[in-house]
Amino acid sequence: MRRLTLLLLLILLGACKEQVTGGSRPDDHAAKPQVLTSNYPLYYFTSEIAGDVVDVQMPEIDGDPAMWVPGAADIPQLQAADLIVINGAGYESWLAYTSLDNDRLLDTTKDIQDLLLPIENVTLHQHGPEGEHSHKGTAFTTWLDPRIAVEQARAIARGLSVLVPAQAEAFKSRLVLLEQRLVELDRSFEQVFSNLKDQPLVFSHPVYQYLQKRYGLNARSVHWEPDTEPGVKEWVDFQNLLRAHPAKLMIWEGQPSPVIIERLQDQGIQSVVFNPVANQDAAGDYFVLMSANAGRILGSKK
Amino acid sequence: MMTGAFFLGWRYLRFHRFKSLVLLASVTLMMFLPTATRLLVADSATALTARAQATPLLLGERGGELELVLNALYFHAEQPPVLPYSALGDIEASGLASGIPLYTRFRSRGAPIVGTSLDYFAFRNLQLAGGRMMGLLGEAVVGANVASEQAVGPGDHLVSSPETVFDLAGVYPLKMQVVGVLARSGSPDDDAVFVDVRTAWVIQGLGHGHDDLARGDSSASVLSRNEGTITANASLKQFNEITAENIRDFHFHGGTSGFPLSAVIVVPPDDKSATLLRGRYQNHESGYQVLVPGNVLDDLLETVFTIQNYVILGLMMLSLATIAVVTLVFLLSQQLRRGEFMTLKRMGASRSFVATLIASEIGFVLLGSVALSALMSWVTRHYATEFLLSLVTL
Amino acid sequence: MSGIQISNLQFSYASAGGFRMHIPRLDIAAGECVAIVGPSGSGKTTLLNLMAGTFVPRSGEINVAGQRLDNMSDAARRRFRIDRVGQVFQAFELLDYLTVSENILLPRLIDSESRKNSGSQQRIQSLLSSVGLQDKADKRPDELSHGERQRVAVCRAMLNRPALLLADEPTGNLDQANKQKVVELLISQARTHESMLLMVTHDHSMLDAFERVIDFAELVEK
Repeated sequence: MRRLTLLLLLILLGACKEQVTGGSRPDDHAAKPQVLTSNYPLYYFTSEIAGDVVDVQMPEIDGDPAMWVPGAADIPQLQAADLIVINGAGYESWLAYTSLDNDRLLDTTKDIQDLLLPIENVTLHQHGPEGEHSHKGTAFTTWLDPRIAVEQARAIARGLSVLVPAQAEAFKSRLVLLEQRLVELDRSFEQVFSNLKDQPLVFSHPVYQYLQKRYGLNARSVHWEPDTEPGVKEWVDFQNLLRAHPAKLMIWEGQPSPVIIERLQDQGIQSVVFNPVANQDAAGDYFVLMSANAGRILGSKK
Repeated sequence: MMTGAFFLGWRYLRFHRFKSLVLLASVTLMMFLPTATRLLVADSATALTARAQATPLLLGERGGELELVLNALYFHAEQPPVLPYSALGDIEASGLASGIPLYTRFRSRGAPIVGTSLDYFAFRNLQLAGGRMMGLLGEAVVGANVASEQAVGPGDHLVSSPETVFDLAGVYPLKMQVVGVLARSGSPDDDAVFVDVRTAWVIQGLGHGHDDLARGDSSASVLSRNEGTITANASLKQFNEITAENIRDFHFHGGTSGFPLSAVIVVPPDDKSATLLRGRYQNHESGYQVLVPGNVLDDLLETVFTIQNYVILGLMMLSLATIAVVTLVFLLSQQLRRGEFMTLKRMGASRSFVATLIASEIGFVLLGSVALSALMSWVTRHYATEFLLSLVTL
Repeated sequence: MSGIQISNLQFSYASAGGFRMHIPRLDIAAGECVAIVGPSGSGKTTLLNLMAGTFVPRSGEINVAGQRLDNMSDAARRRFRIDRVGQVFQAFELLDYLTVSENILLPRLIDSESRKNSGSQQRIQSLLSSVGLQDKADKRPDELSHGERQRVAVCRAMLNRPALLLADEPTGNLDQANKQKVVELLISQARTHESMLLMVTHDHSMLDAFERVIDFAELVEK
């Protein structure tokens, strides 16, 4: 009798399990296409254009995405993506040592090579006296020129339309909205920077080439980090620079340390932060952060 | 009565084991060799042809067509003349086909290292049996046979073999990390080590990694500094393994457009594109050739089949001689056994009984030969073709 | 009628100018043990072959164990040899690739009766025991002495309880001690099975054991 009860119990359990597993059967409808982006601006643009049609992701990057080195753990995500939206213009140095399906790479600056700016003063190295081997440099913070950002957004829309042709019209309409906002941003920057035209400026790092070109800024770059006090040589070089280029405003990628701010102030130079927005920031989305940049530039005139 | 004759026949063969085995072996070989020859040639031809048929077009530097095909499809050790990486771009830019690069110059303990792109695996329909696909410079995915013969799997390492013992300049052993093992495909891919083509260039020394010369701690390796250019001296140590820590320091000097490839697998979407492409490269200024691997192999196989026929003819002659010798042995044996047959007849055995006895001995040998020959043919079918194909890669 | 009756038997070999034999009369009673002596080449073996039905006479009559052989078909004579005749040869004539048991079974192997007939195995065991070779059943002839081999041959000859036991110089290849044993064995087996025994021999020391000795020279007509 006990054996029979046990048997019945087992059969019952089996039937229950059937029901449970039946209920948790995998989702029948197809998974969304996975789109990976290499930095935050592209992530933002893609999300705005794609809506919820695709799953937009950005790798977990601490710090500047331009310095990102994907590891073995990142490869599965990269290779599984249906589309990888990249900035191009040499931004993704990791492309040189990763193996990816080229058909899935969407280079957003591929068709606007004529708009890209070369970098000057790049440190080269060579092996032996036989010959010089150069590393050609291109400035890659292209999105800082809203007109170039529009081109990149258009490239994204085209890429998404190939990926999900059925949603091409939806992508187009969302692109139009994004373009309008970028045009507005361009206008506001134009206004803000018009007052700084011809005024000598210094950039803490050579990452504002497109901003400089777009708004005709008279600027020179140094290689200073916000949290690292420049050494004696750097200050001497800075003085020499100021002699030829008497800047009163220094634009920083990130908030400089109070020591640096003070020392600059002693020399009559104001520090203002213009966040290139390469990575996500808790303070807000792309346009919030860019508007904040404009606000700070505007405020610096005082 | 017939059972008795078979019993006596069987006992006789068993007792004279050595003679029986020699006869069995001779007749078996006589049956097996022509069959095996046909099987091997047919199966090898099928396998070779299948792979060639699955490869629409090959782009290579002008030179030996067979050499190009054997190297690109079967990773034969003999290298065709190299063509530049820009040739791949030309194919892509034509809009008529996509291209898959191949660079097969190097080996790792005898296994060909195939520098290629991820597209190769989808093209050849290769699946992973374990681990993952290569994703970073210096990573490798190995074929099933490489994994078993060299006892490597995801997480292990393989080192590229230097080309010569005194190879001091450039081609140096690179330690590659195995990240994946391919499922058995029954093709030369089972015997290969796959890397990104850029990893193959690193092996060649066209790309390398070393400490950043701009950093202070590398000053011992600096020969001179001149404005924006730093010249390194010979003491600069180059990395022989690409790791997470040094991968950013790996670079190629000069543009990669001139870097070498053994061939490009060209995949046109349709026959029209294929024809147009072939037409373009007919007398192309670049001097490259676009060929149809199937056609090249057909020419080769025609020769092979002709040779096969001669071989089989020779084997048939040998068979005739074997039959003659075997018959002689039987006749001599029967003569020696005359007394035995006389005794049987005197005891009451009929002529047909004695004839059946002799026939059963012949029959057992023949049956045994047929069975053994069939078994050997089956084994040949299963294992020899793979072995023969592996000879092509040598 | 049992026994052997030969009258006016004429035999010659097919080749011209060959051997000829004429036996006017020969009678052997059922169960009689007879030794046949005579010069070599006189036709003693031929007589045994005629009695076994191996050879066919040109003319005359042969009756053996109630069967007339001279007008029998080939098949009938083979049947007769298998069923009614046991033969022992000078050179033993055992098959070297068969065991002792299988050699004894030979008369049934060349016949339709299966060798696996359990009756056969019992009969073989019994015969081997009667000749003292019960432990040699699985041995091969080359593992036996000459004397043992001839005893096996005797067992083979007796397998089907023949009416007629023919022994052609059975002691020719044996030493003195074994000669005696084999002759005694032949006679005792013949008596046990109530068979006629005809033994051709050159060895006159063996003749005392026989009831009757036939001088072949006197048997045939010159």
